[in-house]
Amino acid sequence: MTLQEQIRANRFRSVVLIGGFAVIVLILAALLAAALDVWVGAFALAGALIYAVFGVISSRGMVAAMTGAQELPPEQMRPIQRLVDNVAIAAGLSVTPQVRIVDDPAPNAFATGLTPGKSFVGITTGLLATMPKRELEAVIAHEISHVRNRDTRLMTLAVVFAGVIALIANIAFRTMAYGGGRRDGNRGGPIVIVLAVVGFLLAPIAAGLLKMALSRRREYLADATAAEILNDPEAVALALRRLELDPTTVRHADVSVAHMWIESPTHSVKDAPPGGSALAGLFDTHPPLESRIAALEQAGGFRLPDDLPPDQPFLATIGAGGA
Amino acid sequence: MIAVWIVLGVVALLVISFVVGFNRLVRLRNEVNTGWSNIDVTLKRRADLIPNLVEAVKGYAAHERGVFDSVTEARASLMRAGTPGAAAQANEALTSALGRLFAVAEAYPDLKASQNFLRLQDELTDTEDKVAAARRYYNATVMRYNTKIQSFPGVLYAGALGFAGREFFSADEGDHAVPQVDLSPQE
Repeated sequence: MTLQEQIRANRFRSVVLIGGFAVIVLILAALLAAALDVWVGAFALAGALIYAVFGVISSRGMVAAMTGAQELPPEQMRPIQRLVDNVAIAAGLSVTPQVRIVDDPAPNAFATGLTPGKSFVGITTGLLATMPKRELEAVIAHEISHVRNRDTRLMTLAVVFAGVIALIANIAFRTMAYGGGRRDGNRGGPIVIVLAVVGFLLAPIAAGLLKMALSRRREYLADATAAEILNDPEAVALALRRLELDPTTVRHADVSVAHMWIESPTHSVKDAPPGGSALAGLFDTHPPLESRIAALEQAGGFRLPDDLPPDQPFLATIGAGGA
Repeated sequence: MIAVWIVLGVVALLVISFVVGFNRLVRLRNEVNTGWSNIDVTLKRRADLIPNLVEAVKGYAAHERGVFDSVTEARASLMRAGTPGAAAQANEALTSALGRLFAVAEAYPDLKASQNFLRLQDELTDTEDKVAAARRYYNATVMRYNTKIQSFPGVLYAGALGFAGREFFSADEGDHAVPQVDLSPQE
């Protein structure tokens, strides 16, 4: 696939996602209308649309706030911004995403934004303090791949939509459970009520699963793209191994942004036994690092050495004033 | 009757595969053009830094005339270069001329301590990295594009429709074997 084709494929998926969202919201609203009142359904529909539009527009600021990603003065950012600039150029982006720093000892990174020009790459101070330049570049290349392939936009849509659906379903379920339906009797009869309850329970689960399934396939693709951008699959594998060996996890980890990080900030993935139950795997936002490393080793035809190279971390090479 | 349908089906398949192939060629050509403009931008930025650098060094080492001339000369030929190959060659000449300039600068402690000089040196190193990055993308896309128009079925119509092969950004004339992804282990 050429770059443009990947972007088009993701644009298509975005459209499908928006369509699927519209259908789910309509069904939920219809169930509400049938079970309670037409006005409740209409109100939920309007609320969902306003929330969705607002959520997508403000997603960038929201992600920054939820992760604690900050802009630092340009002179402090220069070495790391340069690294990102160069990776973006090698990826063929015409505009370079901004860099923001998350003050957190756990090494991790993410990217967000609707278009490359409005995107930013978030990097933890822990990443700068543990990764040597070569591996840091690999992590950045992984994030730039997400931006370049428009994964970030797709994921933003998925997250906002999943959030909206979960919210409506939640409100609707509570309204029904606590007497909203009693006011004018069971207009729709018991079957409608049962259907409605099932719908309200299933919708958030479906939305959440969709969000995660999207993310997991994308991680393999972004790893492969990063290897191609840098022409160095081993660097990507080494970076993943270093992330795997690091025991710390991100403090600010909010479940709603868990899918964005290069390494899952929640414990579920790390602590899962190898080949653990498939059901547990269903709810993970990321494939295990071990299988991502294995995929790179297979594609690149190499084996990672047992020991990581003892290179100096990037932060040490640019002087401690970096970030 | 069945024969007519079969013929129609084959014709339709051919038309579809042509349309898909043609569109893919257009996309690849656009990617090559984007890649080249990325290189062009970074080369220009690099060339723009040179006069300031020469001025800065002249202030401390005015008599090192030969070095200045070779740097200015290399910059001029980089600005003149019309093809990717020529630009790559000029860029390499500029890099080695700059190497000599920085070697000369070593002999002047005042110059080496000058903030202005240090900043310019740093910026030049950075543009060099950027040229290398842009080159990687450009050469990879040229590789894909050239492969497409040289292989079947693109080779049947690419030339007739004006899709010409593109030159790599490479100083070495024979260097056409730039791999898209080198998957062999490093070191």
